[in-house]
Amino acid sequence: MGNEDLYWAAIDFANGLLSGAMLGGYYALISVGLALNFGVMRLVNLSHGDWLIVAAYMCVTLISATGMPPFWSILVVAPVMYGIGYAVQRGLLNHVSVQAAERRNMSPSFGLMLSLLVTFGLSIVLSQGMLLLFSANAMSIHNDLSFSAIRLSEDLSISTLRFGFFIAAAVLLAVLALWMKKTHVGRAIRAASDDPEIAGLMGMRTPHIYSVASGVALASASVAGFMIGMSRSFQPFDGPPFLLLAFGVVVLGGLGSLLGSFVGGIVLGVVQVLAGTYFGPASQQMAGYLLILLVLAVRPQGLLAKK
Amino acid sequence: MSTSATDPAAAPPVLRVSGLSAYYGEMRAIYDMSIELQPGDVLAIIGANGAGKSTFLRSLTGLMNHGARSRTQGRIEFLGSRIDGLTPEQVVDAGIALVPEGRRLFSRMTVEDNLMAGAYLPRCRPALSLKLDEIYAMFPRLGERRRQVVSQMSGGEQQMVSIGRALMSSPRLLAFDELSLGLSPAMVDEIYNKLGQIIQAGTTSIIVEQDLKRALSACTRFCVMLEGTIVLEGRPGETSEADIAAAYFGSEPEASHGQ
Repeated sequence: MGNEDLYWAAIDFANGLLSGAMLGGYYALISVGLALNFGVMRLVNLSHGDWLIVAAYMCVTLISATGMPPFWSILVVAPVMYGIGYAVQRGLLNHVSVQAAERRNMSPSFGLMLSLLVTFGLSIVLSQGMLLLFSANAMSIHNDLSFSAIRLSEDLSISTLRFGFFIAAAVLLAVLALWMKKTHVGRAIRAASDDPEIAGLMGMRTPHIYSVASGVALASASVAGFMIGMSRSFQPFDGPPFLLLAFGVVVLGGLGSLLGSFVGGIVLGVVQVLAGTYFGPASQQMAGYLLILLVLAVRPQGLLAKK
Repeated sequence: MSTSATDPAAAPPVLRVSGLSAYYGEMRAIYDMSIELQPGDVLAIIGANGAGKSTFLRSLTGLMNHGARSRTQGRIEFLGSRIDGLTPEQVVDAGIALVPEGRRLFSRMTVEDNLMAGAYLPRCRPALSLKLDEIYAMFPRLGERRRQVVSQMSGGEQQMVSIGRALMSSPRLLAFDELSLGLSPAMVDEIYNKLGQIIQAGTTSIIVEQDLKRALSACTRFCVMLEGTIVLEGRPGETSEADIAAAYFGSEPEASHGQ
């Protein structure tokens, strides 16, 4: 093998690593809401993917209605999604949760099943609602960054958009982790996820705490939805594949861990892109699922979770 | 013989429980219980397993109102206002804190996070760092380990965190459920030594304890519960140990035919 071959092999690998890692940031943001829901409330939210698409539609609608610059839309949509997440948790999901089942003297697994069914129903309602409102036409958020790239060297470059996503994901997850660690509400979320009964004895109103967590989950999902809209076109029924992706990331990183979502996203992104580089685009998905299977078999608690 | 002879002209009692019954589903765990606590009282509730001691503490702290399977009947007044029917969040805001059986710490959180969780209520936050210093002064060992995750600590240290966490909300009434359970005798000595300090500071307290000697040495008053109701009340030293033991086991002092 000549020097040139070696050089190109290295460039291929480096490109794969880089764009995989960048993709990972995007994956992490898609997944963090799901991780938060599960980690705090033992809630498997099957409507998570649809909320991403709802947020993307909100951004598109807002941008076309007001003509505001695309990035500004998220400043409006994220708080709105927080409110929706809070209300849905408070008004609906708190009443069909594992905790609610225990309160009514039913088995926790019944509560798990109940919330699965309800969020599955929610998923159908959301996607049909979007179909009704926006029809099945594909939409996307128009922006100038989609086709620009940052050149690192002559043969090495990363997409500006993906780089932006990566930075945004890292910053958002860091802020979220800090918020969980340092604030009274963050501490209450951790306490309520550990022992809801004792959290109540500390004066924490768990229905409120859970709703805040769900609000934050949807607010982060709205940023992810915005990114989806920026990087590709979307339709009302595009949610479930993103849910599957988020499941994979959460399983990889460890259920309910924020840092786990970030690491899981990056690992999945890198493996997918490298598989695509060496074995062709068709192997991307396959490699991702093989990796998830492998982690489930060897380290079922996830890469980063303790215990 | 029987006590609770208190001056009616004095300040209102810290706690007045009258005609309290508590149910788990159809099962009645407490039967028509009444008791009063004056400021500074340290009441030991003694009794065998299943006598209703822990259920009483659950009723007091609002935990029995949480969900459909348990409920209470009767009145509980705290500092003159009714608290039966309140949620646990409202009860702790009113000023009652519980050191629960089995410590029940937030296991993945650090010592300091556990303590700070105890000061979650808005009324507790202004004095938070002052309170933390107070707890660390009382338990220097916790101060040294404030960044340690509590699940890695010994049972005794965890019990200190649990006591500290309850103190963080500046309670007017403190309830301790089975402090000595699962701890080494030396550690129990240390914990009860600290308990003495807390009591000295004048905090009205309720101690639920299976260890009769411990309970009697720490309290100013005691009551014995049997099958969900109070069968004997008294002050340590005024009632003979034989009488207490008889009440504890539910038999007549003379003819104790093993139950």
